[in-house]
Amino acid sequence: MKRNTWILIGMAVILVAFAALVLTAPAEAGKLEEAIAKTPAGTGPGQINPEATKGFMGIPGAPHHFWLFYILWGIWVGWIFSSVGAFGGIMAGVGHISVFGLSDYASTFKKTSPFLNKMLTDSIRTSNQYLVGLSALISSFTYYRMGRLVLPLGLCLAAGGILAGYLVPLLTVGKMDVSFYVGFFGIIVFAVAFVLFYETTPKGQASKKAAKAAAKAFEDIHIRKCAVDEGGAHACGVQVKHWGLTRIAFTFYGQEFSFNPLWPVLGGFVINGISAFIGVGGGFLYVPFLTSVAGLPMFIVAGTSALAVLVGMIVNIFNMMVVRAVPVDFVLISTELIGIAIGSVLGPMTSKKIPDVWLKRIFVVLAVYVGIGYLTKGFMGKSIFPGM
Amino acid sequence: MGSLTMEMHPVYLFLDPYLIWFYRLTGHAALNFLLGTFVLASLAFLVGECTSNLAMSLVRRHLGRTADEAKKYQDLSMEALKTGDRPAYEATNKLANDAFGQSFFMQLTLSATFFWPIFFALGWMQYRFLEMEFPIPGTNWSLGYIGGFILIYIAAYLILKRLPWIRRIKAWCGAVGHQAQGQEST
Repeated sequence: MKRNTWILIGMAVILVAFAALVLTAPAEAGKLEEAIAKTPAGTGPGQINPEATKGFMGIPGAPHHFWLFYILWGIWVGWIFSSVGAFGGIMAGVGHISVFGLSDYASTFKKTSPFLNKMLTDSIRTSNQYLVGLSALISSFTYYRMGRLVLPLGLCLAAGGILAGYLVPLLTVGKMDVSFYVGFFGIIVFAVAFVLFYETTPKGQASKKAAKAAAKAFEDIHIRKCAVDEGGAHACGVQVKHWGLTRIAFTFYGQEFSFNPLWPVLGGFVINGISAFIGVGGGFLYVPFLTSVAGLPMFIVAGTSALAVLVGMIVNIFNMMVVRAVPVDFVLISTELIGIAIGSVLGPMTSKKIPDVWLKRIFVVLAVYVGIGYLTKGFMGKSIFPGM
Repeated sequence: MGSLTMEMHPVYLFLDPYLIWFYRLTGHAALNFLLGTFVLASLAFLVGECTSNLAMSLVRRHLGRTADEAKKYQDLSMEALKTGDRPAYEATNKLANDAFGQSFFMQLTLSATFFWPIFFALGWMQYRFLEMEFPIPGTNWSLGYIGGFILIYIAAYLILKRLPWIRRIKAWCGAVGHQAQGQEST
């Protein structure tokens, strides 16, 4: 096995072992019981009726749905994930916030039990994190195997990610009101909508066409040479030429690449910060960040970002679940995952039947609807659209 | 949830007598937990392996197509780098990135086919062991049910992965998927 693989596995094992050692479930249980005890008993809004049917996380009177509903929503999320991409994570969040009614339920405790309100907010984003983040973990291993690792770059990204993974839960767990969370979720939805929209515009389409034409022209001239030179190419892998506080340089296939370490640290911080704050939209941003912003080759980026994703996710989940002891409803998560699993099979089988550009246009409309709905609900107190 | 409700989900209520049986095999509580959780983790691993193989065999063709495209542009970008053709490199790198993104999300979503039984098992453990705490001798730390499950799951994974009959089960699940895929094509 390669040395870098051992480094990766070693880091993961140390973090998981440490996390496992201090995992104290009673803290999780105690926290929920404490929150319920602090909430006034009764049948009105913002009160808990101990006699009511138990719902989300076993809280009496909390939203509760038939299990098939969770599976169906999971199928929808899985289908979007495997056909449109990042928007699947948004839909996982929409499910928890709106479809299952958890945000509205949490809002009722805003004045009567702020502790329960904030704990439910943390639970929603940790549930998102589980659905989106844990899947990224296994994918990052897959991509690590196919890529190559630029260790200084991976370490810079991971350093930023660890910092965000530590700071964001420290500053926000138990402190974030559900309305505030929903508002910020709306902002992220808008960002995703903007990217999707750009890809459907004539400019976005033209840039893709131009890239395809340039690639085709290059392929026509060089494709044979590529096959002949395969052995020689391997000898020109990543070679780090300079390590410095302001500049790290390496050569790849004879071409020199350099970066200021501050940028990947900042990138790692922002990307993992979003992931820890909202619960969606983290790890997968590393690859576009490194290829588009830093201009690095995909071949290197895939392996390097895998290291950053892995470290970031372990820190996030460790912090939310273990250090902050945020309770989650595993029944809800596992039934949703069954749906996502089904959707992951249906997505690749059916999405090719719908033109890519139309698929994106549909989701732009949906994203604008959800984004405006959440922004108004979060920051103005009431969504201007129904169903949010 | 366990301490708050004691009202198990009907699916867990059905499975509970079978699963808890493995936690009552000896007279020693810690050993019982180890044995029972090992069986639970093994079941979660087996079901996850089976459903992920089934799913992979169903979508392999679609996944392969996207992965091939990513590889093609990735190779081309490498070749462009070698020849020092910067515009061609940037173009092919962009296309490799797009194809990679698509393939990434397909694989990411497919990983749910492997993970769901783990959460399903944790859901049952949440009812049964939420308030249990296992002190680590010689330290002030303690192990909760999630930590216990994760460690035992890793052990079960490493042991079961080496068994030859696991490969046969995986192959069988894959064959079922291929058969379904064949029927869909015809």
